[in-house]
Amino acid sequence: MRGRSILLLALLGFLVVATGVIWRRGVGLAQARELRTLRQQRAALTATQAALEGAIRDASSRARLARTVESALGMRVPPDSLVIRLPRARPTPPSP
Amino acid sequence: MIKISRLGLIHGAFVLFAVTLVGRAAYVQLGQTARWRQAAQQQQLVDRELPAMRGAILDAAGTVLVDSRELVRLAIAPPEVRDRAVLADALRRVAVPAEFVRRATDPARKWVELPGRYLSTDVTALLAMRGVHATSVIERVPPATAGLRSLLGTVNRDDEAVGGVEASLDAVLRGRPGRSVLVRAGRVGPLSSPEERFDPPVPGHSVTLTLHQGLQDIAERALADAIGSMRARGGDIVVLDPHSGAIRALASRRADPTASGATALTEPYEPGSTLKPFVAAALLELGRVTVDETIPTFNGKFTLNGRTIADVHAAPRMTFAEVIQYSSNVGIVQFAQRLTPREQYAVLRDAGFGMVTGIPYPTESSGRLRPPAEWSLQSPASLAMGYEVAVTPLQLALAYGAIANGGELLEPALVQEVRTAAGRVTYRAGRRAVRRLMSPATARTMRGLLRDVVTGGTATAADLAVYSLGGKSGTARRTRDDGRGYETGAYTASFVGLFPADNPQLVILVKLDDPKAGYGGLTAAPVTKAVLTAAIAARDAALDPSTLAGPPVRANTAAPGSAVASEMVPDSSRRAGRAVASDGASSAPGAAVEGGPLRLEEPPLRGPVAFDLGVERRSTVDSLPPRAVPDVTGMTTRAAVRVLHRAGFHVVLTGGAAGAVTVPTAGTVLPAGATVRLSSLR
Repeated sequence: MRGRSILLLALLGFLVVATGVIWRRGVGLAQARELRTLRQQRAALTATQAALEGAIRDASSRARLARTVESALGMRVPPDSLVIRLPRARPTPPSP
Repeated sequence: MIKISRLGLIHGAFVLFAVTLVGRAAYVQLGQTARWRQAAQQQQLVDRELPAMRGAILDAAGTVLVDSRELVRLAIAPPEVRDRAVLADALRRVAVPAEFVRRATDPARKWVELPGRYLSTDVTALLAMRGVHATSVIERVPPATAGLRSLLGTVNRDDEAVGGVEASLDAVLRGRPGRSVLVRAGRVGPLSSPEERFDPPVPGHSVTLTLHQGLQDIAERALADAIGSMRARGGDIVVLDPHSGAIRALASRRADPTASGATALTEPYEPGSTLKPFVAAALLELGRVTVDETIPTFNGKFTLNGRTIADVHAAPRMTFAEVIQYSSNVGIVQFAQRLTPREQYAVLRDAGFGMVTGIPYPTESSGRLRPPAEWSLQSPASLAMGYEVAVTPLQLALAYGAIANGGELLEPALVQEVRTAAGRVTYRAGRRAVRRLMSPATARTMRGLLRDVVTGGTATAADLAVYSLGGKSGTARRTRDDGRGYETGAYTASFVGLFPADNPQLVILVKLDDPKAGYGGLTAAPVTKAVLTAAIAARDAALDPSTLAGPPVRANTAAPGSAVASEMVPDSSRRAGRAVASDGASSAPGAAVEGGPLRLEEPPLRGPVAFDLGVERRSTVDSLPPRAVPDVTGMTTRAAVRVLHRAGFHVVLTGGAAGAVTVPTAGTVLPAGATVRLSSLR
């Protein structure tokens, strides 16, 4: 009777340990999948960010804007005699 | 005799079987460990290379010019696809060609690679479908403009740099790919494991160029407009900072769409009259002439060694200054006779002609300058007029930089800074003087002469209303493509400007190939003016406003504290002659227009205006530090001369020693520009 009890306990212990290992492995796999998905999303968003930044740079570049401004708004580059550069305000020290 | 029962036999067989099994297991576990471990790893693990992100290329202000991004390539395994109609619909939505949609939904095919690369976010729906397989790839996003593309080069689909800065700095930009070992997890696909190897990729360094995108855009547009309006075959514009050698803009364009590359660095040409200032500077430097000295110019016709030399501006006599101002061939040829061939050759060689500048560009041309031993009787006269010598636009702009900065020839700088992905600076460009071409006094005199060319000489079309500009125009006949003589009626028109003339911030070279509108002063000079006008009006064109100050402001009603200039004005305000302040508001008193048609008014601000941005003026050119004579032992004569030249020394060849030997010896510290004697038999 004592021998059988030991065998039963041993089997039960094996079952618990095996269940724990499988559960832990399942959780690990799920987390690894989640991690992979997040990495893919991050890479995709980074690529999208780079693409959008490139598009903004392109759209706001002088090469693109100058022609549009001239044709749509009728503006021209002023001759140097019409350009005034105004003095920048010098920073004032903070009052005590 | 031992009697074995049947039961014993069965037991024995079992025991034998068990022992064999254990033995075999032990052999597999212990004797074949490596083999089976390897086999298991092949089944369970996947070794993947992780591509390194190529470094970005930025302009001097930090604007990204070229960048990389991660995209995906798609492949379809038709047998794995569950719903072909849904797949076909999703493929059509991302603009996959119809032929490939048909192939991807054909169950008879095993594997279909789709063309093109996609942003992951654009194909999210596809990636979630069974049978769709994605591979990450790094794509280089090319610069927006064609001029930058030709200068910076590109990267092909195999991630190999092709041409330009990309190829020259490939080792810096490339980075190091990483490796990752993933664990196969059945239908889930490979997953990373913290227990397996993971070497992260090392991104490439980012490279900051000296280029200024605002100025680059201005130059490219001015060049495109000029080529179109003058029906030229092509052209180049180089803009550089004469105090640092930094290239601020470099535009090249050819009417022939098959031509490519930065021709300002790769295509030498005969510069014509734009070379005259260097002969003039040598004459002044050696004391062979004074600015006021007069010479007969024979009403523009002069015969020398059986060759008739002609002037466009005919006059019986001219001063030396007028010879430069009106670009007199007759005058400069006669003055150049006061130089020996060796002296004439030396000044052109010292100006950097006939040698590569060392800019990081794979196919830079050295141009052509023949030594006096190969000259004909006509060569001194031809060279004085800018013929029999071929220079690249960059070489010529750098040589004019010496006139602009007080006499020093500088090395060009295209790369300003190199940084690791973590931001650590691994390289920063410094000002490097190659040698002194002329004294500061001669350079100042030359700047005065060049200013006269613009104010009342051959290039008045470049004159600005407020700011002073110096420069020299040139019109040279074009050699035929087969190299035999000159093309009839075809010219290279050019202009090199120093802006502003007194304390130049920029050297601008404009070259037009065979424009149908006349001389360099009438074609290239106005292009220079257009570039400068746009640069002055721009907020982001690399100009230092503190050194552009003129006489006091005559009118200024704008609020203090407003900053910098407006770049464009309405056509109406231009017609009305209103001045536009930096905040875009009309600042001229009495210039306001109150509805109705615009009244034409006298521009209230014709004179120069002063401003003070509180920025310190650029320091004047520093004196060159002494440097050690480099060791050229064992080098060929050609290599030794090149090394000594680049170190900033004059080189005189003498015979008599086996192998290259210098006097003074290597390591001796000498002032820049000192003469080093090189003995060599090779």
